[in-house]
Order: sequence, then structure tokens, then C-alpha cells
Amino acid sequence: MTTDTKSASNLAGKTLTTSFIVIGLILLAIGGYASLQVLLKGHEAVYAVNREVPWGLLIATYAYFVITSTGLAFIGGLGHAFGFEKYSKMSKRIVVMAFVILLAGFTQIGMEIGHPIRLMIYLILSPNLNAPIVWMGVFYGIELVILAVELYIIFKPNKKESDHNTAKIVGFFALLVGVLATSNLGYVFGSLNARPFYHGVYFSIFLVVSGVTAGAALLLAIHNILYKFNVPENLHSSMKALGKLMGAGIGVMIFLYLWKILSSLYTQPGDSYLAVKALLTGPLSINFWVGELLLAVILPLAIIVFSKASNMKALGIAGIIFMIGLFFTRYDFIVAGQLPPMREGLPGSGVHTVNGLAQYAPSTTEWMIFALGWGVFIFLYFLAERFLILDTEEH
Amino acid sequence: MAKKKYAIVLDASKCLNCKACTVACKLENHVPVGHETYRIWVTENEIHGNFPNLTQTFQPSQCQHCENTPCASVCPTKATYKTEEGVVLVDYDKCVLCKACMTACPYDARFVNEHVAAVEKCTMCYHRLPDREPACVETCPTKVRVFGDLNDPESEVSKLLAKNPYYRLKPSVNTRPRLFYIY
Repeated sequence: MTTDTKSASNLAGKTLTTSFIVIGLILLAIGGYASLQVLLKGHEAVYAVNREVPWGLLIATYAYFVITSTGLAFIGGLGHAFGFEKYSKMSKRIVVMAFVILLAGFTQIGMEIGHPIRLMIYLILSPNLNAPIVWMGVFYGIELVILAVELYIIFKPNKKESDHNTAKIVGFFALLVGVLATSNLGYVFGSLNARPFYHGVYFSIFLVVSGVTAGAALLLAIHNILYKFNVPENLHSSMKALGKLMGAGIGVMIFLYLWKILSSLYTQPGDSYLAVKALLTGPLSINFWVGELLLAVILPLAIIVFSKASNMKALGIAGIIFMIGLFFTRYDFIVAGQLPPMREGLPGSGVHTVNGLAQYAPSTTEWMIFALGWGVFIFLYFLAERFLILDTEEH
Repeated sequence: MAKKKYAIVLDASKCLNCKACTVACKLENHVPVGHETYRIWVTENEIHGNFPNLTQTFQPSQCQHCENTPCASVCPTKATYKTEEGVVLVDYDKCVLCKACMTACPYDARFVNEHVAAVEKCTMCYHRLPDREPACVETCPTKVRVFGDLNDPESEVSKLLAKNPYYRLKPSVNTRPRLFYIY
């Protein structure tokens, strides 16, 4: 272990980690109160999702967290299994972060589904193997177990050579199952007969690419926060490599956006067209132009390009901005596809539309459950930073 | 004996928009009151023509009981299933309220019923079959809906479909509905 990395946790400072633990606890309290409301009053009474838009903020936040987790596992797998030394320097942090952010994601799906316990029971008793949600449960369940095994291995004292070999194999499977889980999430939406916006291979690819990009962005952001924007020398090469990975990821995302939007515009007057119009000029346009494009594409890419991915502070800011923008990316992805109504909102049809589109805006309780997810992530992650040594020994 | 193949044939031109079908459905199936909780609906199409020569048509509809069933395909627990007569039903005890079926349905025919803590929809009043017809069919004063067995060539639905041109909703999504609209 080098001197620089040894002192990393100390550099981070107990005050900083304690502050984040307190923030995490506050968010957990807010989320806990909201969870009680959901349990006492019922989902229908406190959530704003409706008949036309059944999936909303919680599914978006679930996607945000779990896809970022698999992106982190992907980067960890590159380090462990494929010998990318620059990433393996951060392997402890990657595994801890991937694990807790996956747990944060599970809080969102747990509070979204009306009967989460029943789901686990009937996934065993009468699973519909044709249903992508079954495979989502299988893949993310396996991913959680793999990450738990990785956690055990990285914190095991007196590691032997065989443990390193096991870590390589487990890291490879974390990468593989993570990619399967995230691309399957694209299939969960792609299999919805009624929603053409989600059809095709686009989202399976986009989610994997943006997930890996998010993994890199979160690592850049968290390292800068931990080291108070003064990342130690020995991590610079890792940070630069992550910056390049993030830049490349955003580059591919631009490519995917371009063709998805253009091809959807040519489906007029189809639902895919309506969904893209909702993004470009409709109710999601501010989210799209400011959140998705400015924060998750233009600004971080500009920062990476102009700093040549070598300024640590700039990379940290790019990472933070990207992670904020990515929330809008996930939200828009979930909501846009559901805005085209299944029939015209004429009197008697039962469908409520404005300018030909269904309506959805998250309720206060949904935002509080969103806070619960962040609370789980921030509390558990900084608790780990506070009480465990997350700096990785040199391989 | 051949299995029954239930279907509903609708002649929307007979619809008065009296909403007796929607009321009968609510009462028969204990559907909760609410803007989003309904199994069947009657869309009031836009008025055509110029005063005083005006026309308005209505389109009564409900779950299409699709042969190719998008809601059942995505249901993770097989809560949504099809009976041997082709009626699409929901087993409330297996429904986990993931709402994948609601997002998959091209007809917006499903909704969350808090009273049964599950997603529900039209059942063709399966509990009344085969002795009584669905409530919406039975109550309609102008006989917009006709219910019957497509496998019986002597049934009224078979005869109506043999005599009249008909269409099904959203053929492009390849769901092959069991609700037929005659022109």
C-alpha cells in the first residue's frame, strides 16, 4: 500500500463523511415517513402515477440507480477480470458503491410494486418465463449476490493468490450479469406491445452505454468529493482513464440520440413520434434540453474535451453535472414512452389528455421515496467510507 | 364437443350513449367509483357536419380479450391468463401490482382496483357464463353488443360476422381481439 493511498481515508476527513452520513440519515427519515404514508394510505392515494402513465418517478429512479450499479460493476470487471490496472486501483470503492447503489435501486422498485413480497413468492411458484420482468428479477438478484461475494473477497483479511483468481472470475461475472441485467431492462420496456417508442434494440444498448458512463461519472464525482477536489497523485491515471471512458460514453450516447430522434420523427403520426415530440417541444422539453442534453451531454463532454481529461477538479465537476443530468435522462425515458394515449382523449373515453398527450407529474410522496433511495445510497456508502478502508492496495 | 370460443360483436351505430352498460358493469362487478376505475367506456366521437345537419357516433369498448395477449406475455407471475374459451382474466391473488400489463395493453383497458389490491379489467362477466350473458350485453336497450360462441355456427355472433363486414381495433398491433365491430 502506498503512503498516498494509505492516508486517503484520513484525507477525506471524518467531518466530511460524518456530514454525508447525517445527510443520508435525514433523507432516510424523509423516505421512512413517506414509506409509512404509502403503507397506511395505499399507493393509489399518495402516488401520482395513473391509468395512462402507470410507471413514473420511482421506476425512473430505480433505473437510475440499478443501471449505474451495473455500470460500476462493468468498470470493476474491466479492472478485475481484464487487467485494466487503472480501474483496479479503485476496486474496493467500485464494489462498495455498486452494492449500495443497487440496494438504493431496490428500495425504489420495492416501494413502487404493490406486492413486492408476493412477487418474490410467485416468481418461484408460477414464474412466467416469457415475461422480461422475471429475468430482471433474476439478473439483478444474481448481480446483488455476485457483488456481495466481491465485497466478501475484497474485505477478506490475509488474501491468498487463490483469492485474487476468484476475484477475477467473480469480477467477470459481475460485468457479464450486469450487462445482461441492464440490456434486459431495455427488453422490459421493448416488450410492451402498446409502446412503440421503446421497441427495438435502441434502449438495451443506450442503457448499457449510459450506465457505464454513469459508473465512470460517479467515480469521478465521489473521488473528488472525498478528497475535497484534491485527488492524490497516485489516482490521477485512474481518474484520467475514467474521464476518457466517460467522454467516449457520452460520444456514443450522442450518436444513439441522433438516430433515435431522427428515425422516430419519421414515424409521424405514430406513438414513437409523439413521444419524441413530447421530449423536443412538449411537456418534457425542459427536462430534455436542459437536463438530458445540457447537463448529461454538452457540459460534461465540453469539460472533458477542453480539460483533455487531465484536470482532476474539472473531471469531478463533469461527473457531478452528468449524474444530475442523467436523472432527467432516465425520467424522460420512462415517462415519454407512456405519454401517447391509447385512445383519443374524447369525452366518455375516460382518457385525460392535454394537447393530445397523457399527463404525469410526480407527487410529493414520490419525491420523498426518491429521497429514500438517495438516503440509502449516501448513508451506507459514507458509512463504509467512515468505518472501512476503501483505498485499494496496489495489485 | 368443441370448446366454446366467446366473443362480443358490437354494432356501434345502434349506441345511444345512454351509459347503461357502464352502470351495469359497475354494479355487477363492484367496480369502485373513480375517474380511472372503469371496465368499459363509451367514447363520444367528434360531431360531424354543419348545423342543422349534424351527426355524432359513439364507440363503446372494453378489454378486447385478445387472442395474442400482450398483457399476459409481460405478467411476471402468470396472474393474467386466458381461459379455454379465450376470456382473459386476472388472478387477484397472484397480481403483484407491477403494472406491466397496464403499460403493455394497447387499449388502456386495465386499472388498479384498490379494493381487490390488484389490476383488474373486463372479465366478460365470466362468473355469469354460460347461463347468463355479460351485464353490459344484457342491459343494452338497443342491443349494441351481442355475446356468443364463435365455434357455434348457429350462434348469433357467428351469423352476424358471416353477414356483415367488420373490423377490430388496432389491427396493426396484431392482438387479434375477440371484440368485433360491424359496419
